Amino acid sequence: MGGFLPPAERRSSALLGLYTALSLLLLILGDRLPQASLRGVGAWIFAPIDRIVLTADRMAAAWHENQRLHQAVAELMIENQHLRAAGIENQRLREELGLPAYHGFTLRPVEVLALSGEAVPAAATLSAGTHQGVHEGDPVMTREGLLGRIGESYPTLSRVVLLTDLNSAVAAEVESTGVLGVLRFTTAPRPRLVLTSVPLADTVRIGQQVLTSGLSRRYPRQLPIGRVSRLGRDASGLMQDVEVEPFARLSRIRHAFVLVRPAAPGDHP
Amino acid sequence: MRPLGALLVLVGVALLLRSTALSALAARGVVVDVLAFATAMWALRYGESWGATFGFVLGLAADLDAAHWMGRHALLLALMGYAVGRLSRTLVRDSARTQLVLLAIATLTHQVWSAAFELDRLESWPYLLQRVLVAALLTAPLGTLLLSLLRRASGQPLFGHAVLESGPSS
Repeated sequence: MGGFLPPAERRSSALLGLYTALSLLLLILGDRLPQASLRGVGAWIFAPIDRIVLTADRMAAAWHENQRLHQAVAELMIENQHLRAAGIENQRLREELGLPAYHGFTLRPVEVLALSGEAVPAAATLSAGTHQGVHEGDPVMTREGLLGRIGESYPTLSRVVLLTDLNSAVAAEVESTGVLGVLRFTTAPRPRLVLTSVPLADTVRIGQQVLTSGLSRRYPRQLPIGRVSRLGRDASGLMQDVEVEPFARLSRIRHAFVLVRPAAPGDHP
Repeated sequence: MRPLGALLVLVGVALLLRSTALSALAARGVVVDVLAFATAMWALRYGESWGATFGFVLGLAADLDAAHWMGRHALLLALMGYAVGRLSRTLVRDSARTQLVLLAIATLTHQVWSAAFELDRLESWPYLLQRVLVAALLTAPLGTLLLSLLRRASGQPLFGHAVLESGPSS
């Protein structure tokens, strides 16, 4: 064939033949080739490109996050000013009414090392223990809401009993109405948090926030727990069955805060 | 050496586009075939030898980047580069109509070839057919528009110079 064609066309035909043969060989011998090694070479070649894309993607995400955080900081600063004024006013009113002074909490950031429990996690291991000032009974929460309390504390680790532990019970109240109840975890008919011991006469609405009531003395008052998601009657038909959707994502926690109590006179851990 | 450098850059750009913006669009059903576009345009400009070489290199790189057997893209893109390069001698290469038709045929061929490997069940053919048609209907006008913008920006014909017609291999 080569003799009939001019040199340039002969060369291009030869090139095409070579490429076609190589491609067919790759296609036919596909399963015999070391695909993993070849893909490794491919990954090595494309790594700089992937890195550029990843960097650009991260920068774009960081830029958006920065904007959102700027807005959040501005809003929180305004809210903080209001809360500071309200706190001073509250302190003065408590003094005038003769109520005991409120002791604040120190938030200690900790890492969640592991979650344990079948299907729904019931406990978590934290990266701080007694050496870091974390003791049994200290409440644990995330930015969103309550997680549980420290059940066991070791020198450098501790274990949290989550709200989803079947033995956990939290004295809670419904925000604004002050309806009281005990928050428990149940698996029947499906895993859920339920505010129990709520009389039928009490008015509870879907969407209302549920907070700690402070009546059990295990948790301080006003810690956010979740939101009322469903209403019904319990098995006896005498009490309400208030289902609560927790604010904290219990199955996806990476970081948390331990509320370390300040050493106050007459305060026991 | 200049076309070789340009070839590698264009291969890199095409793959980068394919794995970022175009893959995000493809996930939403908007398929733009940058491999067919780049091969056809390169072959149109540099002729059949460079067209086949570009198609083979780009196809091989795309095969390496994907999770299927190698040679799938390389074979068709090399053939496509050669065919478009041969056709470029007899076509009015700077005509928008020519580019539109060439791109539509190139995209259709490449998409049908790719779809043939994915046709494992009879039920999947409507989806694959839709993908092939969408790719052809999008790539051809978008590619033609891009080339027209490039021509306006450069102020001279993209393919018309006789010097470049035969390419470095001839």
